[in-house]
Amino acid sequence: MTPKRFETLAEAFGGDVARWPDADREAAATVMAAEPAWAQRVLALAGDLDAALAASTPLRGAGDLADRIAATAPAARPRWAGWLLPAGMGAGLAAACAAGVMLGAQLGAAPTAVDDPDALVAAADDDFSLYLDEEAG
Amino acid sequence: MGDPDDELLSRVARGDPAASRALVARKLPRLLSLAGRMLGDGAEAEDVAQEAFLRVWKQAPRWRPGAARFDTWLHRVALNLCYDRLRRRRETAYAEPPERPDEGPAPDRGLQALDTGRRVEAALMSLPDRQREAIVLCHYQELGNIEAAAVMGVTVEALESLLGRGRRALRAALVDLKEA
Repeated sequence: MTPKRFETLAEAFGGDVARWPDADREAAATVMAAEPAWAQRVLALAGDLDAALAASTPLRGAGDLADRIAATAPAARPRWAGWLLPAGMGAGLAAACAAGVMLGAQLGAAPTAVDDPDALVAAADDDFSLYLDEEAG
Repeated sequence: MGDPDDELLSRVARGDPAASRALVARKLPRLLSLAGRMLGDGAEAEDVAQEAFLRVWKQAPRWRPGAARFDTWLHRVALNLCYDRLRRRRETAYAEPPERPDEGPAPDRGLQALDTGRRVEAALMSLPDRQREAIVLCHYQELGNIEAAAVMGVTVEALESLLGRGRRALRAALVDLKEA
């Protein structure tokens, strides 16, 4: 490691070599052993800024914030939902399709079954798959 | 080494309220630290934290252990939310210019009266967003260089450059602290 590289790393990662990238620490130790006084000056300069940055304390948030956030987590579905929903979804979708075909045949336009809980579950799943493409892709 | 959050996430996915509370307790301080320093506004940081957890609840049932570190993903989600807000601020500032001419940054005006912590925060907020992001991730969130670069979507060399430029600007803004 060159002295210039040592200075660059101190400039980027601060005066504590333990916080430097793993791949550079061993070579940094060699530089420190070869030029201890110079290396200490470089690290002390970077350390001054580290000390200043430490004066900024993290935000703590409102006292009840954690409780309010935890309250937004979805609760477990009741046990019956585990077998009722999959069983009901197929039947419900089939019924919705059949109703749509019949209404479409009668009225010329198929209405949306907005009050069908199975259809709502399917719509929520569609929405979530879009979300995953955006967020986790 | 496995992700230390995987087990908790699987319980959250099953609707375990104790696991949800534990995950909030584990991650909320880091989220507030990140968003608070990126936005410089406590109320907005709390909003970001709440929005980030809404995404966590949606993601938990689909989380694939081993695909990514949850903490890395959560940092990226929170940063995206922060950038949305920073973008809106700029658009609002552009649409509604101040009636009085902006007198621009002046380290000697007003800032001197603030305590050291407030001065550091003001100096951080004066940095370009990406330099601030790099410093917040590496210095305050204590992410390693590889993880921070992954969160930011840049190379480790680019991260190093952002850190160096950011820290030089901070040193210039805070030069009198050492002398005080």
